[in-house]
Amino acid sequence: MRRDRDVREFPPARKKEAGLAAVSRLPRFEQCLYSIWGNCRKTRVVQPNAVEESRAPRPRVGLFITCLVDLVRPQVGFAAVKLLEQAGCDVEVPAQTCCGQPAWNSGADKYAADLARQVIAAFEPFDYVVAPSGSCAGMIKLHYPEVLANDARWLPRARALAAKTHELISFLVNVRGMKGVDAHCAARTCYHDSCSSLREMRVREQPRELLASVDGLSLSELKEPEVCCGFGGLFSVKYPEISERMADDKIADAQATCAEMMVGGDLGCLLHLKGRMQRKGVNMRVRHVAEVLAGMAGEPALGET
Amino acid sequence: MTLDPRAFREAGRAALHDPSLRIALGRLKTHFALGRARAVERYGDWEALREQGRAIRDYALAHLDTLLEEFERNVVARGGQVHWARDAKEAREIVLRILREAGAKSVTKGKSMVSEEIALNPYLDANGVEPVETDLGEYIVQLRREPPSHIIAPAFHLNKEDVAKTFREAHTALDPDRPLVERTELVAEARALLRARFESADAGITGANFLTAEEGAAVLVTNEGNGDLTRLLPKTHIVLTGLEKVVANLEHAAVLLRLLTRSATGQDISSYVTVMNGPRAPDESDGPQNFHVVLVDNGRTRLLGTDAEEVLRCIRCAACLNHCPIYAAVGGHTYGATYTGPIGAALNPGLMGVGVAHRHPNASTFCGRCAEVCPVKIPLPTIMRHWRAREYASGLAPKSMTAGLGAWAFFAKRPALYRFAAGIVACALKFLARNGRVHSLPLLHNWFLVRDFPAPQGKTFHALWTARQ
Amino acid sequence: MSAREDILAAIRARRAKAVAAPPSYCAPAPPDSVQAFVEHATRANAEVRLIANETEIPQAVAELLRARNLPAIVHVPPNASNLPWNSAPGLMRERAAPGPEDAAVAIAPFGIGETGTLAYPSATDAPASWHFRAGFEIAVIRAEDILMRMEDVIARLKATALPPTLNFVTGPSRTGDIEQTLELGAHGPKVLAILIIQD
Repeated sequence: MRRDRDVREFPPARKKEAGLAAVSRLPRFEQCLYSIWGNCRKTRVVQPNAVEESRAPRPRVGLFITCLVDLVRPQVGFAAVKLLEQAGCDVEVPAQTCCGQPAWNSGADKYAADLARQVIAAFEPFDYVVAPSGSCAGMIKLHYPEVLANDARWLPRARALAAKTHELISFLVNVRGMKGVDAHCAARTCYHDSCSSLREMRVREQPRELLASVDGLSLSELKEPEVCCGFGGLFSVKYPEISERMADDKIADAQATCAEMMVGGDLGCLLHLKGRMQRKGVNMRVRHVAEVLAGMAGEPALGET
Repeated sequence: MTLDPRAFREAGRAALHDPSLRIALGRLKTHFALGRARAVERYGDWEALREQGRAIRDYALAHLDTLLEEFERNVVARGGQVHWARDAKEAREIVLRILREAGAKSVTKGKSMVSEEIALNPYLDANGVEPVETDLGEYIVQLRREPPSHIIAPAFHLNKEDVAKTFREAHTALDPDRPLVERTELVAEARALLRARFESADAGITGANFLTAEEGAAVLVTNEGNGDLTRLLPKTHIVLTGLEKVVANLEHAAVLLRLLTRSATGQDISSYVTVMNGPRAPDESDGPQNFHVVLVDNGRTRLLGTDAEEVLRCIRCAACLNHCPIYAAVGGHTYGATYTGPIGAALNPGLMGVGVAHRHPNASTFCGRCAEVCPVKIPLPTIMRHWRAREYASGLAPKSMTAGLGAWAFFAKRPALYRFAAGIVACALKFLARNGRVHSLPLLHNWFLVRDFPAPQGKTFHALWTARQ
Repeated sequence: MSAREDILAAIRARRAKAVAAPPSYCAPAPPDSVQAFVEHATRANAEVRLIANETEIPQAVAELLRARNLPAIVHVPPNASNLPWNSAPGLMRERAAPGPEDAAVAIAPFGIGETGTLAYPSATDAPASWHFRAGFEIAVIRAEDILMRMEDVIARLKATALPPTLNFVTGPSRTGDIEQTLELGAHGPKVLAILIIQD
């Protein structure tokens, strides 16, 4: 593999190319810290109606980036931006951290409520909230009204936000009417349905439909696409041995399809599965579906250098 | 076999490496799940039926007091007796008292989860009454001195070789040369042996799938016919059941029955459905002369009006177990409790206490298949989450987890600080990664116990996005 | 307080919300109940034969026994004793309760098309235990008594009175308790044959 690829081609460099390149030369740790702090202070304040009205109204989408994408795989975020822009949306990324799901699923209700209010305040101004994850989108859409059920002031706001929250791929297909993408990726591929995408957000056909339009890509189905991969957020560390068994079953199912690549819509499952593949020595590329649809499959896959 | 719901992880680890159990658990998908899917498809408007089932159960729970009183009145009017038990101890004592009054020395039993719940068999044994389980699976686990591992298939964890060995050990009169290899031979052996026990039993104890208030009847669903022989041959019949099983009338029970058998075994109806309506009539030649119903609370009414109330809708079909990836991985005995799988995870903290059963609601990825297949629409993951919140609030959650969540929340509530910290973590992880993976990290032992962590790209999205703007 | 009062008080203290009675429900049903009965009973491993009228019963019983190489003996409950048994010479009748290898006749007052189910209300002349004691049950039902749903049977019985025991029987006894694989004849009959009288 090419070792000179530290300066990645994402985001598609437009501005500040020189600056970006300068801070990208890892691993200079101090340099890294410096640039991180510099970026952190530039909090973007979102102002309602800040975007100029164009003649054909372009919906304003607040992109909920998800903490795993932010931390591990920023490329997925840029892929989401690209796809949303292709679908005729104006994309903004308001200040955000996490949707609070780890707290909610652990029963730490107060933390979950604090974070829910934070997300609601940040994303209310937008026409839509879109997340490249069925799990985070499901948290906002289905669980925020539960999280704030006893908060008379915030409950209506939680419901209003829930009503305009979508998982990325289903948003592209169902709301924006996207029929296909202009992307190339020559790979035998299998699709991993995350449980929250499948059962909470009703995402099943949409990614398959768009993947079918990717030039060179062939999609084979798992035998048991509706069975959980064993990630389950903190479940993966509460019961690692059971999680391992479930991952192994899922990986075996994927291998049986002869796929070279697994794609999915939730980075949590994908990190867990890829991490297990790495531990077992299974050689299969793993990517977020948005990367493939946005034509970014040329970049190294998850956990590749 | 020791059962401890607190030892879930340890028991699970052993179960994961039990090769014979792996074979047995493989049958969840091939037998139960597939059968249910076909039956649901054959039915047609399954969702309307589910909604009706939910409405029937919710109505019953909302009128539990009046329905139970009506049920009692009608049982008494037909010559039966109703007994109320606040807890397991009271229930055991009531059953023993009835048996003593009937002069019973041996009692046949139809499968009853409530009997397991209140640990009736050891109590009867200790008090000079011999209980004989007659459901084939329950009989097998009774011989093995094991608890059932599945709500509707007690010997689910066993293979036929295990059963043959058990029979050889227990049936001392069995000719050693007689082949006991095929399932048919095993079933024939149990049939012959248990028929004699039916004929000689002094009393019979069954559970009930439904109690109907308007008729004062108990409805029993079986495939083997053992429940009926248990009721009809001895002089005394005791129905031992949870008080939440009551519904308004037989018509309501008929709707639930459609949901129950399809969800349980994929049958449109089970071989036998029996409406048991008091003792025999004076001129009848068979049927019990004495009819008793023991209504067991044992923690159920405590759940009414709470966030876990909907768990009382359960009709014990076991579809949630059959579709649960956790149950499929570790089997029923791992739970160390009568109720296993998702329904156990939602029910046990209520019946046994959060402090005893808090591992169960944590043993879920919240994948949601249980709620999807539940015939009465119990929001099982929501209830499990409710118990996790109770666990968290009572300080029972592991300290490492609460400390970690606290630290994480501290950052997550401060976006600028969070981004700073995330930037460092992303950078550090990339720094630590070799060959595209991080192999281990302190504090995250359990993640790295079974898997690596794929190397991050090195910078956070927010850092890159801000730079791009 | 007694347990009864304690429990009822606990329920009343905790009951939170009002819930309306569920709407009435009517299960989907095929157009012809007899045809549906035959189909479902067959799927439940019962052997179904159509006969023209009551006089053919003894002959049909004799044939069923012969086909299985069983002795020509059948246990007959009181409510079936008036059938024209003499039309099948050589068929012996027993009035005692059947044992686990014996054949027995049973008259089903009702059937259910939706599931291929026989409904037997217990009665003085129709002992309930026979349906479980016999090894081979030969059920007799009139086509006109095959209703569509279980609710229809319940309504008919409620018009008079519910019996102490009401057995709904669908196919022979079975178990899946060993390796989740179907075995017939767990405790009750290993074989169920159903004669439907068409006239």
